[in-house]
This record gives sequence, C-alpha cells and structure tokens, in this order.
Amino acid sequence: MKKFLEITLGILTAIGGFVDIGDIVANAESGARFHMSLAWVVIVGVVGIIVYAEMSGRVAALSGRAVFDLVRERLGPRVALTNLLASYFINFLTLTAEIAGVSLALQLASSVNYLLWIPLVAFLVWFVIWRVKFETMERIFGILGLVLIVFVVVVWRLGDWHTLSATALHPSIPKGEGIPTYFFFAIALFGAAMTPYEVFFFSSGAVEEHWTRTDLMVNRANVYIGFALGGILSLALMASADLVLSPGGISVSHLSQVTLPAALTIGKLGVAVTIVGFFAATFGAALETALSAGYTVSQFFGWQWGTFVKRVEAPRFHAVVILSVIMAAMVGLTTIDPIKVTEYSIVLSAAALPLTYFPILVIANDPDYVGEKTNSKFLNVIAFSYLVLLVIVALATIPLMIATKGGS
Amino acid sequence: MRLSDFLQAEVLDDNDVSIGRVQDVRLIQDGPVIGTWGAAFSIEGLIVSKRGVGARLGFHRSNVKGPLPLKALFEWIFRDARLVEWERIRSIEEGRIRFRGTYEDLKAPDPLSG
Amino acid sequence: MTRAGNRIDAGLGLLDRQILDKDGKDSGNVDDLELFAREEGGAPYVMYILAGPGALARRLRGRAGAWLESAFERLHHSEDPHPARIPFGVVKDIKHSVELSISKRGLDVTTIEDWVRDHFISKIPGAYHDPGGTK
Repeated sequence: MKKFLEITLGILTAIGGFVDIGDIVANAESGARFHMSLAWVVIVGVVGIIVYAEMSGRVAALSGRAVFDLVRERLGPRVALTNLLASYFINFLTLTAEIAGVSLALQLASSVNYLLWIPLVAFLVWFVIWRVKFETMERIFGILGLVLIVFVVVVWRLGDWHTLSATALHPSIPKGEGIPTYFFFAIALFGAAMTPYEVFFFSSGAVEEHWTRTDLMVNRANVYIGFALGGILSLALMASADLVLSPGGISVSHLSQVTLPAALTIGKLGVAVTIVGFFAATFGAALETALSAGYTVSQFFGWQWGTFVKRVEAPRFHAVVILSVIMAAMVGLTTIDPIKVTEYSIVLSAAALPLTYFPILVIANDPDYVGEKTNSKFLNVIAFSYLVLLVIVALATIPLMIATKGGS
Repeated sequence: MRLSDFLQAEVLDDNDVSIGRVQDVRLIQDGPVIGTWGAAFSIEGLIVSKRGVGARLGFHRSNVKGPLPLKALFEWIFRDARLVEWERIRSIEEGRIRFRGTYEDLKAPDPLSG
Repeated sequence: MTRAGNRIDAGLGLLDRQILDKDGKDSGNVDDLELFAREEGGAPYVMYILAGPGALARRLRGRAGAWLESAFERLHHSEDPHPARIPFGVVKDIKHSVELSISKRGLDVTTIEDWVRDHFISKIPGAYHDPGGTK
C-alpha cells in the first residue's frame, strides 16, 4: 500500500491530463467518428509524455528545479517570457474548461444548471489548494479518478475485439470524413496526451514532495504506471464510443452522451460511477491547471512557490493562483462552450509544446543539473525523434485548425 | 556597469570591421577577495559570434554529450566564436565595443567543463 | 598571458539562475550582474547580483522591458530607483542555483513579496497554517 501511495502523483497527473474534460470529449468523439483508426495516436502520445515527464521528474529530483525555472535558464528572459505568456494562456483556457467541466458533471448528477455550480466549484478548487496538504490532495483525487476503469469494464463486457482491432490495426478514414479532419483529430488527441501543464504539475509536484536522488525509481514508477494507465483509460473511452455510439450515429457534443456506454452495459450504477470518475478527473485537472498557473509565473520570476511552505511565505504564488481561479470562473460564467474551449486549448498546447520540451531535453543532458544521470544514448535517440515530431506537429497545427474550422 | 551592457553589443576590430556580437562574458575568479565568497569573478574576455540563436544552450561545454544531432548542429553554428580578452579592449560605448587587432589574432574560447 | 582561476560563462552559468537563501528559500533570479571597474586598471569584477523587475526590465529590452521599467519606477518610492542588490560576497556556492550564506530577510529582494503578503495573503484565514514540511 505504501508503495502504491508513492505513485499517486503520477496517477493524478495522468488522470487529470488524459481524462480531463477535453480528453473525455476528444476521445469519445474520435471513437464515434473514426472508430479505432486514431488509436495509434494515443500510443504515440503516451510514449511521448512518458519520455518528457521522466526527464522533467529526474531533473526535479536531482536539482530541485521544476520545468519553468529551466525554460528561462536556457532560452533567456525574452524567449522565456513569450513562452510564459503562451503557456499561461493555454493553461488558463484549460482551467476555465475544467471548472466548467466539473460543473457539468455536477449538473449530470443534480439536474441543477452548471452555471450555478461554477462559483462553488471555483471556490472549492481554491480551498483545496489553500488548505489541503499536497500529498492528501493527490491521493484523494488520484484514487477517486481510478473509478474511470469502469470504461475498461464496459469494453470488456461488450467484448467485441474483432470490430475494435479491425480499425485499430488497419487505420482508415471513414466515408464522409476528410483527410484534414482526420489529422486535426490526430493532433487534438496527441495534444490531449502531451499537455504541457501535466509536466509543469508533475515536476513541481516532485519538488513539493521533496524528491531526491533516492526517488529516481519512484519517478520512473510514477511515469510508467501513471501515464500508461491514463493511456489505457483514453483508449477505453474511445473504444466504448466506437462500439456504442458509432452504430447509433450519435456524435458527441455533450458530456451526458459519454455516459451512454456505461448506462447501456452496466446500468444506473455504471452511470453513477462514471459521473464520480468524471468529477474526480476534471476536478483533479482543475487543481493541476490552477497550481500550474502559479508554478509557471513564480518559477519564471524566481519567486517562492509551493504548498509545502506556509501560505504567507509564498504570497505571490498564492495570489496568482487565486486571481487565475477567479478569472477562469468569470470566463466560464459567460456561457462560453467549455467543450469548444477545451478542444482549442489542447490543439494550441500541441503547437506550444516544443518550446517547453526543448529546454528540458537540453538540461536532461547537462551534468550541472543531473550529475552522471544524463540521458542514455538510447533515450536520446527517442527523445530527439520526439523533438522532430513535436516541431512538425506544431507547424501543422494552425493551418489544419483553419482548414477544418476546428474539426467540425 | 551591468553585465547586460555587454551582451549583444557589436564588436569591431582595428579596421572598424564587425566580428559579431557579444554572446556571453567569460569570468575568471582572480579578483579581490570579497566577503565569505573568496576571490571575485572578473572579466576574462567576451565571447563573440555573428550567430545569436542558442548561444546559451551550453552545447560547447565538453561535459555535455548529447543529443548528438543538437550538439553537432550548435557546435557548427558557433564555429566562428572567438574570445576577445579584456586586455585587448580599447573602448566601450553604448552597444559598441572596439578591440586591438583583428579576427585572425583571436582564439576560439576553450570549452569549459563545468 | 594566461590567468589562473575558476572560469564560468556568465550568461550560461549565472544569469537567470535561481537564488536560494541559507534556508533554501527562493529569493529571486539572477536578473543581472553589477560590475565594478578597478581604479588601478585591470578587468572589472562582479560586485553585486541584481534581482527583481528593475533589473529584469533592461534584459527584456523592447516594449515589454520599457513597460516593466516604467511600472517599477512608478511603484518605487525613492528618488533613484535601483534594483535589489545582493553583494556577491554573501554567495556561498554556485551549482545549478546560486546559494547564499544569509537569509533573504536581510536583503532588499523581498519588498514586493512583503507587500503582497501584508495587503492580501495574510488577511485570508489559514495564511499562517504550517503545512508541516520544510524544504
């Protein structure tokens, strides 16, 4: 059990990253429209985030420095400031979407309009950060999010492996869908797996938990188990949508449609469990993004940050968190469509990714920070290939977004 | 005088020909003893190159080994880098530094290990 | 003529690094260095580390830098606003971070932090709660 609790940081990061409101919708929608033809993207994304998070966790354990600190050290203040503004903006969009997402999950459970839930949810997000110990927070939401394994159960019960493997192993573009749309969804899924805020949160979390040299194995376990689990959950969401929603011609535009597979195969209990899982995952993601807002700004300026010190010792960090949560709630209250917001934010994160990935790759090779634990030759081959891939994806993103009008 | 006054300043030789901009400033710990720190860092020289992208990535240091394609690329980009020792500097104006001699008299900066 | 001593490239090894005080608390970044020209000639040496918006502004240059500089000067009360200075003599070690031998409370790097604490964060209930873990 103690060993299990050590990997809750990875589980929370991954669940908040992979099955937050944006991914729930992106995965279900791509399953409904493209069957399993995009499953390979999730796998490429999972391996990518494992490489990225392992490097950032290792650097954090050995040097006590988290991602945004390092971005500025290697890129200089001007480029890093541009990077900060872009990362903060994308992170803020995601925070807005998550606060609205938690409210949507509460609407499913209570039939009370989500707009009424938004102020309460925003307050709760701040309150947990203000009052709850980091480890406690990560355990509660990490473990609660695990109930989303219900989607694996749904796919298991349906048991139609033949249908799933047909499109998973031989990806093809269904009739009525264009090639640009296919690639737009591919980028959205890739961006959903490799969101930068996961790595801001994970590496800062490692510092919050005072990881040291002796925690390098813990880092690996967190990364391999946590992110693999996140990947399995996204594939299960996609598969259940393929098997249940696709035959009925249902396209996903609302969170309640994602609960349909569980309703049809497991019944009311299935729906209840799904809603609890959605709540935990989106709330976890709201915590991740609210904290990441404070982490990135504080680390750029060198301010004291973190929840491991007294609140008064990190005043500017907490001020950024509070103001970000308030602004996100206000944007959410404008009745902006949270699902559209999150779709754009994951696509934009794919475009911004090389800016934060590159400095981490450089520093994971720098003995000043990691001593003799620099990247192995083998890891560098993979990590460099991903750098090339990330640059290609980033360059393709904006033209595809315009060409497909956001995948519609 | 701030360090940032040097960074990105244009460096001109005896014939007023530009050899590039200051990309970094090499310090050496041989100044007067200050506080509990010990000998102060003083300027050994300016690292000058015509290329400005990625000067601070650290690939020129001998203990940074990879990733190989990046190390090779940035070492190639900065192959023109030279160290203008402090003793050679004639004048410092805003954004413009003149030194005695020409590009051919300068050495490439030694790669530091740390 | 070769000089003897440890060498460091200031841009790569000092600028933008985190400053940690004697208790390991984050105390700003190395935003710039102030050099002192010796009267007897010879190369200038590093006298102070500069930290905070007043020093960062000049490094950002362009419009963002000008904006930050004017904001800093307006907020600063004194006639001659200068950025927070840390004497290099209190530096203990330079690794991936710059470690100091004194507490940041004895330096003027905490002005803005103290203001945000006194006017905002300390007024929220639970602000002094000890989370039970120090770095």
